[in-house]
Amino acid sequence: MKRAGWYLLAGAVAGFGGVLGFHGGGTAAPALLGQQKPGAIGGTPVPSASPSGPARSTGPAASQGGATGQARSATGAVVPYGYGELSVVVTVHGGQITAVSVPLLRTAEPYSQQLAQQVIPMLRSEVLAAHSAQIHGVSGATYTSQAYAQSIQSALDKLHVR
Amino acid sequence: MGYESVVAPRSRQSRKRPPALAQPHRPYPALARAGLVLAGAGLGAVTALAITAETGAELRAPGGAATFLGSLTGLTGMYLALLMVLLVSRIPAIERVLGQDGLLRWHRRLAPWPISLLIAHALFITVGYAQAARAGLGHQVAVLLTRYPDVLIATVGLGIMCVIGIVSLRAIRRRLRRETWWLVHLYMYLALALSFAHVLALGPSFVGHPLTQIVWSVAWAATAGLVLCYRFGLPVVRSLRHRLVVHEVRQEGPGVVSVICSGRHLDRLAIAGGQFFFWRFLTRSMWWQAHPYTLSALPQPPYVRLTVKAVGDHSAAVARLRPGTRVAVEGPYGAFTKYAQQRPQALLVAAGIGVTALRSLLEDMPRNAAPVVLLRGTSPEDLVLRKEVAELVRYRRGRVHELVGTREQVVLDERSLQRLVPDLHRRDIYVCGPEGFVTTIVDLAARLGIPAEAVHHEAYVL
Repeated sequence: MKRAGWYLLAGAVAGFGGVLGFHGGGTAAPALLGQQKPGAIGGTPVPSASPSGPARSTGPAASQGGATGQARSATGAVVPYGYGELSVVVTVHGGQITAVSVPLLRTAEPYSQQLAQQVIPMLRSEVLAAHSAQIHGVSGATYTSQAYAQSIQSALDKLHVR
Repeated sequence: MGYESVVAPRSRQSRKRPPALAQPHRPYPALARAGLVLAGAGLGAVTALAITAETGAELRAPGGAATFLGSLTGLTGMYLALLMVLLVSRIPAIERVLGQDGLLRWHRRLAPWPISLLIAHALFITVGYAQAARAGLGHQVAVLLTRYPDVLIATVGLGIMCVIGIVSLRAIRRRLRRETWWLVHLYMYLALALSFAHVLALGPSFVGHPLTQIVWSVAWAATAGLVLCYRFGLPVVRSLRHRLVVHEVRQEGPGVVSVICSGRHLDRLAIAGGQFFFWRFLTRSMWWQAHPYTLSALPQPPYVRLTVKAVGDHSAAVARLRPGTRVAVEGPYGAFTKYAQQRPQALLVAAGIGVTALRSLLEDMPRNAAPVVLLRGTSPEDLVLRKEVAELVRYRRGRVHELVGTREQVVLDERSLQRLVPDLHRRDIYVCGPEGFVTTIVDLAARLGIPAEAVHHEAYVL
């Protein structure tokens, strides 16, 4: 057939544009490439900095927080994600996140449970390093990472941290 | 009317006026173009889906790039596999434009892509997940196979695909019997079915996105439906309706037989001259394979005729068919019809048994068509049906050239072709015969500056 390639190409451009347009039109799908990061789920602007950046800047905040004295903790919202749902408990001490645990983790199948248990320690260390919900997340566990960050942020909101 | 008339060219019965046959369905090229645009749109859409499911942070995270490439190659690979299945479902509207061999050419051209993309998908995902989990590749393979839902069966599916891919390599395929290869090749449906579940269970574009899940599932279900409908349902319905039975097997020349079948309602069978059916002769040894043979004459109810040369096991067995054998058919297929003609007149070229398609095509041509026919054969006995062709051509005020001899004796080049057919520039070329012969003529036509749309061919591939 004549000009078959052009018809294919025209269709491909239309299909590509169509999905991008539909996606931009506000579906529940994850964010467009480079527009939003998992850590941005609290609505706060995300510094593209490395985890060590915010940690250093909280130095003075810690001494301020020393006035408030003891550690406080709060339970984050239960966040459902593609493979299950989870909730975190965050402990802060003087504006710094000192501990994170996951008292609630429910998943549809054992593999997701296993996967979540595999990534939760990584997410925890990311949060402890960043002292915020603004983390990169773990590739291959996008939804778990997003849910984790979202629950952390809701706990931080309850504690009025930042 | 006796079956004698099946053999006789239609011109001889002009006084008797045969019952009107159903009009064949006309091809609409716009439909094929719409199909192409749709296929392209799907490809664009799945690419966009893979991209939108990814975030910038994920890409920068360990293993992010590999995981992204994994989901992109997986999605596009599965989509191209879907297109390949659609191509062999032989949707009639598309088949009439491209012809069965056109569809197969696209199918074959596409074939290396899904397999390579899906292999790349498996590699990228394994590497990406291993990097993310900071695990070794071997460990990650074990984790993927044992802990992730549906990955094990999808891997089995990929393994089947690889085996079929290797078997389909030209060097290996040539050594296999056509039937063996075809049976092995059918396992592709199983392989695709096995891979389906893990896409929905794990694909980043699908988990938690009911809309994409539904669209994807509906697309695959519809494709499976089309295959079942057009490759299975329709042939069964047609076979039951027409109830073809072998009536007589007649020797036409050395190793060439005509099979005359009788059936019901054959005047309702919409078929254009030059089209063919897949024939399934329901004997104990032959029922499981269907072979393409052209009708060597338009149906003359209650009879149809096919003419077969013994070149393989199946065609040799056809010569031994007993009258009364039941026959199932799939078709009619083929774009090698009068509808393909672009220019005012036609040159028809046939080598050996390729004459069958020309014989029925000639019947579809009007009285004033003045076709030029070249019949090529090594010996005079190779020119089967030559009398019928001569009579049909005479009736249409055309002429026949019989080119008999070895390749050295009969040279077909630019000069000889132009001498035989001086008004070549106002004729379409229809060529039918063994693959090598068809290629020679098609190349010759290209060198003579005849546009490709005006050259129509049907090659016999075993």
